[in-house]
Amino acid sequence: MASFPTLKTGAVMQYPAKRTLKFNTNVIRFLDGTEQRYREEPSVLHQWTIQLDLLDEAELAALDQFFVSSQGQFGSFSFTDPWDGTVYPNCSLAANTYEFGLQEEMRGKASVIVSENRS
Amino acid sequence: MLYFPQLSSGATGQFPMQRQRTARTVVNRSIQDYTVKLADPGAAVTQWNLSFNEMSDQELAALEALFQAVEGRLTPFTFLDPCDNLLAWSEQQDQPVWQADPLLTLTANISDPLGGTGAFQLTNPSGATLLLQQSIAAPASLNYCLSVYARSNSSARVWLVRGTETNAGSISTGWTRLTSAGQLESSGDSLSFGVALDPGSTVDVFGMQVEAQPAASLYKKTAENGGVYSNVRFRDDTLVITTIGPGRHSSKVSLVNVEHL
Repeated sequence: MASFPTLKTGAVMQYPAKRTLKFNTNVIRFLDGTEQRYREEPSVLHQWTIQLDLLDEAELAALDQFFVSSQGQFGSFSFTDPWDGTVYPNCSLAANTYEFGLQEEMRGKASVIVSENRS
Repeated sequence: MLYFPQLSSGATGQFPMQRQRTARTVVNRSIQDYTVKLADPGAAVTQWNLSFNEMSDQELAALEALFQAVEGRLTPFTFLDPCDNLLAWSEQQDQPVWQADPLLTLTANISDPLGGTGAFQLTNPSGATLLLQQSIAAPASLNYCLSVYARSNSSARVWLVRGTETNAGSISTGWTRLTSAGQLESSGDSLSFGVALDPGSTVDVFGMQVEAQPAASLYKKTAENGGVYSNVRFRDDTLVITTIGPGRHSSKVSLVNVEHL
């Protein structure tokens, strides 16, 4: 199983870091104002928005290779949540596009979104 | 062969530059959020956004000549990615893209200078110089830089092969990054890069990299595709050139590589 690449510092994310938890609850509201709620999905799903700045070319290339080998959102990999160290074994990139910009040497910028898949 | 020209400095691009890769995935999502995915590798698109400032008359003429020769976005040409290693399988020298002389032995999974195990040990048990090389389909007349990490307990040198030129690099028991750069006096449509070992020597090599520029940048690992794109087109039928003085031109171009075209 592939793993999400780390920066040369060993970190996965930089500040500002964003993590999203997603449930899917269906709500049926009745005429008398009462409602019934039930789960559409069995558990929470996580998503991490990874914005990276001041990267060197090797770090950008590692992310690029990872995108190519994953074939965009097709491939799955394990991702370690940097907040609590939990390993999520079935994650994918959320988008089919990966873009990086190089302002100058050692001044690369990229961003990716990692989503947990339902297993 | 039509190819994207280099600047007079030998570089292919200037900062800032952008590269965008787009894949296509067919996703069937159930109401419980379970997914079935199908990849469509043939629909992959790579796009580069390049800015050129302070171009000279000759540099502009070369860019304009290519744009006219390919008639805007009509015809493909070869583009050497300035952000990438031109060699494929940079850490898997047992792949078919690498040509090793028959008696040269390769041992994989040797510890490398970046803390991994991506290095290879090459052993030449013969009485002749033996070669490990890879050919790329790129114009031989451009500037190239070959770089490789090497070390050896038994040999003080390794040969760097860059097209028709061969240069000796001094090595020791610690990792040394060797480079061989310059412009060749050749005009072919392909050229080879690699290392050659003296008879009886054993050398560890890692991170072989070729770039279409005069000096080496940080090592970039590659898999089945290196940075040579032979089917690149201009994204637009328009080339806008701004001139702010004699011999001071600027332009922005977007290039696309579409696998299925």
